[in-house]
Amino acid sequence: MWQRKKVLRVAGIATLVLLLAASAFTLYLDHRVRTEFEGRRFALPARIYARPLELHAGLRLALPDLEDELRELGYKALIEKPDPTREAGGGWYVRSGERLDIGLRAFVFWDGAQPARQVRLAFDGGAVSALTDTEGREVALARVEPLPIGGIYPAGNEDRVLVRLAEVPPHLVKALVATEDRTYFTHAGFAPRSMVRAALSIGSNRMQGGSTITQQLVKNFFLTPERTLQRKVTELVMAVLLEVHYGKEEILETYLNEIYLGQDRDRAIHGVGLAAQFYFGKEVQHLTVAESALLVALVKGPAVYDPHRHPARSLERRNLVLRETREQNAITVEQYAAARASELGVSRKPGFGTSPYPAFLALVHRQLRRDYDEADLRSEGLRIFTTLDPKAQGAAERALAKRLAQFDKDKRFGAPGLEGAVVITDPQSGEIQALVGGRDVRFRGYNRAVDASRPVGSLLKPAIYLTALTDPARYTLVTPLDDGPFVWKSRGAPDWEPANYDKKFHGVVPLRTALAHSYNAAAARLGTDLGVERVLDNVKKLGVERELKPFASALLGAVELSPLEVAQMYQTIANGGFRSPLRAIREVTTQEGRPLQRYALAVEQAFPPEPMYLLTAALQGVVRDGTGQGMKNFLPEDIGVAGKTGTTDEQRDAWFAGFTGDRLGVVWVGYDDNRAARLSGSAAALPIWGDMMAVLAPEPLALEKPERIELVWIDPQSGLRGISCPGAQELPFVQGSAPRERAPCASPVDAAVEAVGQTVEKAKSWLERLFGR
Amino acid sequence: MRFFAVLLVLLAACATPPEAPPAGQPEPAPQTEPPPPPVARSEHTAVAGLMETARADAAAGKLSTAAASIERALRIEPRNPRLWQELARIRLQQGQFVQVESVAARSNSFAGADNALRAENWRLIAQSREARGDADGARAARESAEKFSR
Repeated sequence: MWQRKKVLRVAGIATLVLLLAASAFTLYLDHRVRTEFEGRRFALPARIYARPLELHAGLRLALPDLEDELRELGYKALIEKPDPTREAGGGWYVRSGERLDIGLRAFVFWDGAQPARQVRLAFDGGAVSALTDTEGREVALARVEPLPIGGIYPAGNEDRVLVRLAEVPPHLVKALVATEDRTYFTHAGFAPRSMVRAALSIGSNRMQGGSTITQQLVKNFFLTPERTLQRKVTELVMAVLLEVHYGKEEILETYLNEIYLGQDRDRAIHGVGLAAQFYFGKEVQHLTVAESALLVALVKGPAVYDPHRHPARSLERRNLVLRETREQNAITVEQYAAARASELGVSRKPGFGTSPYPAFLALVHRQLRRDYDEADLRSEGLRIFTTLDPKAQGAAERALAKRLAQFDKDKRFGAPGLEGAVVITDPQSGEIQALVGGRDVRFRGYNRAVDASRPVGSLLKPAIYLTALTDPARYTLVTPLDDGPFVWKSRGAPDWEPANYDKKFHGVVPLRTALAHSYNAAAARLGTDLGVERVLDNVKKLGVERELKPFASALLGAVELSPLEVAQMYQTIANGGFRSPLRAIREVTTQEGRPLQRYALAVEQAFPPEPMYLLTAALQGVVRDGTGQGMKNFLPEDIGVAGKTGTTDEQRDAWFAGFTGDRLGVVWVGYDDNRAARLSGSAAALPIWGDMMAVLAPEPLALEKPERIELVWIDPQSGLRGISCPGAQELPFVQGSAPRERAPCASPVDAAVEAVGQTVEKAKSWLERLFGR
Repeated sequence: MRFFAVLLVLLAACATPPEAPPAGQPEPAPQTEPPPPPVARSEHTAVAGLMETARADAAAGKLSTAAASIERALRIEPRNPRLWQELARIRLQQGQFVQVESVAARSNSFAGADNALRAENWRLIAQSREARGDADGARAARESAEKFSR
């Protein structure tokens, strides 16, 4: 008796404790459900965009290139202009001869929303000759929306495009409910019959459905994927709690945005909004019955029923979904028949994973990390507007791939093959237009353009000559330099005896010739005369930030730099001595388009214009007469490319860095494991540079002549004045620094000819001043 | 060009070179005031539009947006000294005094024979130096401005 009482009491207490524990657990889950469902919702990746194309009269742009870009953006090519009421949203173009009508889509730019609008462009000779609206009125400027080029994704590279339930076609919802959870709109979060089946299946390997939509959402949203009884109970309780707090529509909408529907390489496709775009290239509201059924079919297993990889299986499952939908009377017999008869209809365009341009994206990400929390980048849906020019990027990728394949074949050095990297920038603004990190451009790994440090060889020489030319009293373009054998002795280091590439010495040569032919002995002698530290100081002023050890061998490029650093260095030269930090990002906005940050154009005058002008003229000489002569096989000579080749010991690295009026490019070629590539800068890197620039039809390099620069006719033989000497060349000098003496070949009237020339110059500048330019 | 010059000399050799302009031919009138601003260059409508937008934004205190418009215009005409000058003006309003100096110098580098433009750039530089407390530098910049206003 006494014993039984005690047992009952213990049992009572135990029950009470259990009840309390259960209540506490429920309260805890309730708290979780409410805070997490209410607060977090979805992590949205930062979306990254290329530069927008700015259309205006006078723009140098070929019609087919514009069509390419519009196609990339998913614009439809139409035969004739569509009914304005039907296609008010834009997203189409019509070509007729040299004319293009475009229905531009609306887009929220950094500086505000631009509504959808129609424009008409006329083309003439590779340029836009007129830009008008539909009424024929002139339009000053119209921006095309920028191409999305990837994202910075949340954990698991989840990507999604949020949709509202109202946007989802009813037949999609009906198909989903019919297939996954028939009693959804009436149950309280769980379906007892299915539950029993599910409970019995624990421990077995059978694929077990039976979870309600609410339970599936709870499972994806809050829980780990293990299958234990405890987790099953938790899932059940949370599902019921979710139903208590939230309406059926809200839960369904969340489910439609959450559900995992496919994989694009490393990018996970979540939600029907993104799935509609990914599989069918359209917005969710335009999905047909058959297309909707396919998305519902994928809920059960996106890999198993992948319409690209397993079309037959996928079709079978889709038709099963259609049948279930029909059985529930959710679609008509006619709809069913039509949908069943239709093909899968998935778009053929291959996905590119998280980005088609992983090297550029990695650089963008790196720059963003300085200013943003990683967590914010991966969840806040920020919009990042970058400087990438898809055309330049494409040209760089193709040129590199084509040439490397060819070199590999010619050299037969076996695997792993040659590698390479390319950087293209806008010389005036420092914006990075293209970045290729290796020959496998889709590979998101070793980014050679940014992370490979390689000896730069002769690419450093311009810094030596620049240092000399900043002292016009001592050095001009025609100053004789000694290219005889040279030995540099320094304590604690072996003697340094640089040899020339052709194993010869060339005696006394003019400064510009020494640079044009990249003579090593002359450059080493000049550099050590000037002082290694002074030269390296100028390398730093040109924008190379890394610490360089002041060894004499640095002068001939023992210095190791990445292609991006080389681009920075040449940027300052191309920009007339004004240094602008290379930038990959223009603007960042919130998801709604509120501006957060601009990365503004900044310039700093690092060098006076005169020595830069002289150096650039000498670098044009490299391409016209020197080691860069091969460029004439790629670009017309009147482009006036300024550039420099670079080749390192045993030809391990081949470089070309150069610029035109509107593009600067750096190309590196070599082996990752540092094998001798047996390719020189002019044989390997220059052709890649030439190939890609030829595609981009660059503007000629027209130098703005500084006031203190004068042009003097020089006899190439003596390096003295001689306007009438055979082969005389007009060369720039800082005023007063040109040789005074006349060459033996100069005729007596030369002085008078020069005087007239100067008078004409003066009159010209006087006229300019009077009338403006 | 070279041969043209040689030809000129040969022709000139036949005649007596005039030491001074012949009497009666009017000399350019001495200028008492700065020349009128040069005839507006045949500027791009797109560039002109962006410049207008930038000025309106700057007047409304939206300096960052104004700078963005100028940068857009510079992508179209990177060598237009007026755009660089406008950017310098905006940087001055933004209080980015070091940038004013560099950007104005960039404008000068494209100014060619447009001395009025140069003078204005030096005035902007002078203002930025004053704001930084560099009185001597400001004075030197004002002198340069004066020189180009003449």
